[in-house]
Amino acid sequence: MTSSDYVIECDGLTRRFGNFVAVDNVTFRVPRASVFGLLGPNGSGKSTLIRMLCGVLRPSAGTARIAGFDVVRQTESIQGIIGYMSQQFSLYDELTVHENLTFFARLHGLSRQRGAQRREELMERLGLAPFRERLAKRLSGGWRQRLAMACALIHEPQVLFLDEPTAGIDPVARRELWDILFDLAGRGVTLFVTTHYMDEAERCSQVAYIYHSKLIAVGDPDDLKRLPEVTPRGTHRLDVTCEHVMRGLRVVRQLDGVLSATVFGQSMHLLVRDGFDTSKLQQKLAEVGILDIDVRPIAPSLEDVFVELTRVRWQDKTPAGVK
Amino acid sequence: MRIWRTFSAIVYKEFITVFRDRTTLFFLFVPPLIQIIAFGFALDNDVKHMRTVIYDEDRSEDSRAFVQALVSTNTFRVIGEVRSQQELASTLRAGRAIVGVQIPPDYSRRLRAGRNAQIQVLIDGSNSTPALQALNTAMGIAFRKSLTTLMREARRDTLPLEVRPQVLYNPSLRSPNFFVPGVIGMALQIATVFSTALALVRERERGTLEQLLISPISRWGLMLGKIVPYLVIALVMAAALYAIMVGIFDVPIVGDLMGLAVATFVYIFALLSLGLLVSTMAENHMQAFQMTMVLMLPSIFFSGFIFPRDTMPIVFYAISTVLPATYFIELVRAIVLRGAALTEYGHNLMILGILGAFLFVACALRFRRTLG
Repeated sequence: MTSSDYVIECDGLTRRFGNFVAVDNVTFRVPRASVFGLLGPNGSGKSTLIRMLCGVLRPSAGTARIAGFDVVRQTESIQGIIGYMSQQFSLYDELTVHENLTFFARLHGLSRQRGAQRREELMERLGLAPFRERLAKRLSGGWRQRLAMACALIHEPQVLFLDEPTAGIDPVARRELWDILFDLAGRGVTLFVTTHYMDEAERCSQVAYIYHSKLIAVGDPDDLKRLPEVTPRGTHRLDVTCEHVMRGLRVVRQLDGVLSATVFGQSMHLLVRDGFDTSKLQQKLAEVGILDIDVRPIAPSLEDVFVELTRVRWQDKTPAGVK
Repeated sequence: MRIWRTFSAIVYKEFITVFRDRTTLFFLFVPPLIQIIAFGFALDNDVKHMRTVIYDEDRSEDSRAFVQALVSTNTFRVIGEVRSQQELASTLRAGRAIVGVQIPPDYSRRLRAGRNAQIQVLIDGSNSTPALQALNTAMGIAFRKSLTTLMREARRDTLPLEVRPQVLYNPSLRSPNFFVPGVIGMALQIATVFSTALALVRERERGTLEQLLISPISRWGLMLGKIVPYLVIALVMAAALYAIMVGIFDVPIVGDLMGLAVATFVYIFALLSLGLLVSTMAENHMQAFQMTMVLMLPSIFFSGFIFPRDTMPIVFYAISTVLPATYFIELVRAIVLRGAALTEYGHNLMILGILGAFLFVACALRFRRTLG
């Protein structure tokens, strides 16, 4: 890929608020028409990063470019090619659906004709047409989110930033939103999405994980799962489904050959040395009264990847027992 | 181009918002109307018909003639008679009457004998303005009576010295002529400053400001777009207030309407800019309210609305020179009451214009910093 294939490029991007470092030396690139998912817990620096990429917040150090334009020196150029949907789906509550769209069309300098055309097109595509005369404040969460998205898309941006687009909306609306996002990516729009849902991250073509202001991992989800740090040489992963998972976890963690154990709903995910004897596992679990167990090998999930990489890179030491 | 499209988009949105949001509209229009009516009637320091009690020990034709003379000035209104010194004192202490007139038993006898006849007038001084007027009126009556007597004795029909005063512009010295233009200034100020003070704060609180900052907007366009809708509304309101001034308070507009319109326009622009400046500084509604109140209080006291600026201590006078209300009140009094020409009030208009431009530029400059 040449550098022009990357729509977002940031290099050593850092933002400090006083002594607090909200984003610490973050470097990554986002290819055109990809769906880039940025994950991280609350307060890890996701929104700060987006604000810098949108040119609203000045970086303390480092650079960022959108479609080749510097976010600090060429802010005006990037404003025309990006769209942004904030966490709270910011809309004008006193305006109706079509008035909100008309407002943003005018703000972006679309001609009356073009504005009307885009407005109708987006209302149609996002299913907003039946609500065109409804005040924004009378829309439910999922519809507010769609309207906010339509407003962010009115000027046909090349890059769309979505800050936690699915926070607080129902599962059906969530799935529909992802369909819309993939449809957009298919039309050549680059999507930059923050989330803390792992299942959403699995759908992204690129993911990045930010933890305590630092970028822990970035790349294709499948590539990340194959990283040696995630599943070190001489180890493999097991899924153990059983009753009383928490009680079982305490026992399992003390077993020789178990490098890490995490609860995943009704099962535990174990990272074990090759040659680990599962009969020993069954025996130990039976001793604490857990009899009915099901053990099968699994590939790491993205959550495993992030848990593992956070431990490795944040604490800056390799998992116990691995050379 | 950028400035125009930002401006037109913001104006479009603000107009819809204002007219759809009934509470905003209500709070924009109703308080000023109530203020002008309430203040216009209440702020009246023409002292008339003060409650007066009489303790007449003389009970003669002369004593009744003196009481009649007091009543016919319209300053006093007799509400009753008392029978003793104690009763007189207690009526004043209780506040049932403001003035007590005591006429001694020998009043008529001494008056007719040409000897020094005395009447005691007790005045409640706890409210100084009416007290002073009561004092002057009572003394005036005594003086006039004395003079007539002396002139008759001296066989003269003219006074040795006489002042012929002529009060210009407000010949009957009516209070509304002085107060109502000032009340209009205050009423406009409260409505306009609040409306723009909340303008950006609301957007910041709802998160729409961030959305605007990410869009290719012009800050000048944004500021003008925020001001213009309220400017139009405030001008309509000003016209209504002037109509009330002329219609209800009977204060005619002597000068030219065009000049008055321009002065009002410039004043409102300055106030809206001031509100917007508050908006760029306040983080939330509460702060915007408090800042607006802090900015508005001085103009009530120092703008010349109630107390004349010329007699103010230098510090307060200095404060008054930066208040838009000061210049507006000067302008309205000049145009409405004195019928001044542009050359006579032009300097005030210019200062007000500079003040407005300065505030507006300050808004736009401050706004860039929030992009930070």
